[in-house]
Amino acid sequence: MALHSAMKGKLISVIGDEDTCVGFLLGGVGEINKNRHPNFLVVDKNTAVSEIEETFKKFMKRDDIDIILINQNIAEIIRHVIDSHNTPIPAILEIPSKDHPYDASKDSILRRAKGMFNPDEML
Amino acid sequence: MCEAKEDLDKICETLDKLTLDALFLVQEEIDLKLNVENAMSGGEAHLAKTRYIIGQNNVSALQLPTENSAEFSSVIKVEGSESLLGANTYTLREIKKSEDETVQEPLRWFGFLVPQNLNFAQKMFRQALQWSVQAVNTQNQLQRVLHSISSLKEVKSNLTA
Repeated sequence: MALHSAMKGKLISVIGDEDTCVGFLLGGVGEINKNRHPNFLVVDKNTAVSEIEETFKKFMKRDDIDIILINQNIAEIIRHVIDSHNTPIPAILEIPSKDHPYDASKDSILRRAKGMFNPDEML
Repeated sequence: MCEAKEDLDKICETLDKLTLDALFLVQEEIDLKLNVENAMSGGEAHLAKTRYIIGQNNVSALQLPTENSAEFSSVIKVEGSESLLGANTYTLREIKKSEDETVQEPLRWFGFLVPQNLNFAQKMFRQALQWSVQAVNTQNQLQRVLHSISSLKEVKSNLTA
């Protein structure tokens, strides 16, 4: 089974606004597995924060997902959950969205890197 | 005493190199994310043109499969491998219908005779996926370098204490 799944490759999951999800699913990353669990979540203004958090945690636990793409503005809402993640797999990539251009100062990894280059830390 | 000083010099030299590496990786990461942004906005413009042709509600989340849809596999998957530096690197792989029968062509969710713009949007988002995977690889390398820097700093502070 492990060999079979390794041969087939792992999934990219998406948590994003309508256009991001429609676009990346059109690109071919979408999947509904045999337990009828999708690997994407469309977030709109009616989506509860708890639902985003739950879905994110579910994706983190799934061993068939290697990369989670999440819109930066949505990542901001669940920042505490993202910052507590420190394992290399799955990799979390914060991507821009139509209404929110990419802001490097908000990115979890880049903020961690910036902290390292703090003059007090360099001593 | 002399040996300890030599060790300290070596650690400082390595820290300098790793810091430079980290700065280059940060720049690369930002560039890649901007490429993702460009590809996505190109794709979104084509999605908007498609909406103009076939109607606002015909290219929306309503067309995406739901939990009640039949089981299907994704067309695009990633294959991971460990690089020389120990960071995970991923490559995209397209799954052919001959390899897995449950693979579905996403364009079909939007109808059988879709406008050309939807094909263009698909291409742009595939491009965005390529950039995203490269950004993930750079991010993994950066995390690895940051981890090495913090471990070396600990060793350095133990030596200087």
